[in-house]
Amino acid sequence: MIANKRVSGLLIFTSLALAFMLIVMPLPRWLANFWPQWYVITVLFWVLMQPLRFGICMAWCCGLIIDVLYGTPLSQHGLALATAAYLVIKLREPLWVFPHWQQTLLLLPVVLIYEFILFWIDGIIGYDMSPLRRWLPGVTGVLLWPAWAWGLERIAEIDVRS
Amino acid sequence: MRGLSDDDKLPLLSRRFPMGLRLLLVAVVSIALMMFDSSHNAMAPIRSSLSVAMQPLQVLVEAPADALAYLRRFSNRGQLIARNDALSRKVLLLQARLQRLSALEAENERIRALLESSQDRRQEVLIAGILSASANPYQHYITLDKGSLDGVYSGQVLVDANGIMGQILSVTPTNSRAILITDANHAIPVEINRTGLRTIAEGTGKSGQLHLPFLPKSADIQEDDLLVSSGLGGRYPSGYPVATVSEVAHPPGSEFLAVTATPTARLNHGEEVLLVWRQKPALRVPLGNPALATIVPLAPELDELKLPVAASDAP
Repeated sequence: MIANKRVSGLLIFTSLALAFMLIVMPLPRWLANFWPQWYVITVLFWVLMQPLRFGICMAWCCGLIIDVLYGTPLSQHGLALATAAYLVIKLREPLWVFPHWQQTLLLLPVVLIYEFILFWIDGIIGYDMSPLRRWLPGVTGVLLWPAWAWGLERIAEIDVRS
Repeated sequence: MRGLSDDDKLPLLSRRFPMGLRLLLVAVVSIALMMFDSSHNAMAPIRSSLSVAMQPLQVLVEAPADALAYLRRFSNRGQLIARNDALSRKVLLLQARLQRLSALEAENERIRALLESSQDRRQEVLIAGILSASANPYQHYITLDKGSLDGVYSGQVLVDANGIMGQILSVTPTNSRAILITDANHAIPVEINRTGLRTIAEGTGKSGQLHLPFLPKSADIQEDDLLVSSGLGGRYPSGYPVATVSEVAHPPGSEFLAVTATPTARLNHGEEVLLVWRQKPALRVPLGNPALATIVPLAPELDELKLPVAASDAP
């Protein structure tokens, strides 16, 4: 359990930078439809594991970066990510005891709420997009959670020990 | 299991500031930001400075592709010779056409001078490289490697060798983001080249497809008709090819035709685009026209400018 230890800021920063790079990467269109939202699982991982350092405000800032990268209205993703972070903080106790695959089941509704907020704001500002493309990347992201969280946790453990 | 055995060491959440209140605060700030961002253009400088800060990320992502492109430039001698031959043939052909064009241009200018209209047909262009295509599959955006330092402005039109591609949405000092005509939020005023019928072509969000929603069933339009920009709205220059009609359907029960068109520009290919500077739209009215007499008193600055009025919607 690394939630009660201090992980180096450099590791958090690097993992987030990697997640942002993964989503700005140019991709073939067929793959882009399924391409997971790496930043969501990364941000939620740090919110879960380092809630004191990486809370709602940090999640919001990450969302703002996404808005700049995607060219969406500023703080559309910010608001959605902050809400998701809030939910993860509220659910932290069961999440801490669950193994990763069970965490996935609990995180799925959180990410669906996240997608719904984006979808809702899209509707308000009049941006119509195919619903499948709005929802699918979130779901594939959550499905990758066990592997992603496992990997990040191993690296974080090494980081904490050294 | 992991965790809860050492309860006393579990991180306590900050009690000074409850989480719910924190979320509420963030939500209020977010909504205010979004309202500012969508209604006024007040957030443009913030957005632009944030994207400058994101620049290293973009560069890092592009690095492997750039390296590959660099390696691909080493081609073998045979290919180079063949390519060179093809290009010189093309130059010859184009030069022949250019001679005719310059004669036409001269003639056009003389005729325009006769009409006392000063519309300049020559246009300034700049070649810009495409840095990346939309990071987001929902949006048909591209990022270009020219920005406000090169004189690029938001609303500027980009074309390729075959037709109109789109327009600039936002500009940072060193690069800019453009929306393509196939984006679902984009529409361009066009006219059918064969008949001169004016309409609007909307993007569909699918690559390589536009649709024309406002054509009545009686409209004269066929497959393979060329759509050119009509220049209405003042954003796009007139007369550039936009798309060719690919399908004309008559849905029963609808008052309108369902027309789809394929953009002539190669939106998903190529690495370079041309940025076109806005022509000053001239009032296409000869001086003797009585209609002008009613316009001039309303706009005193027209007197100094004689005829052309600079487009005032430049941001």
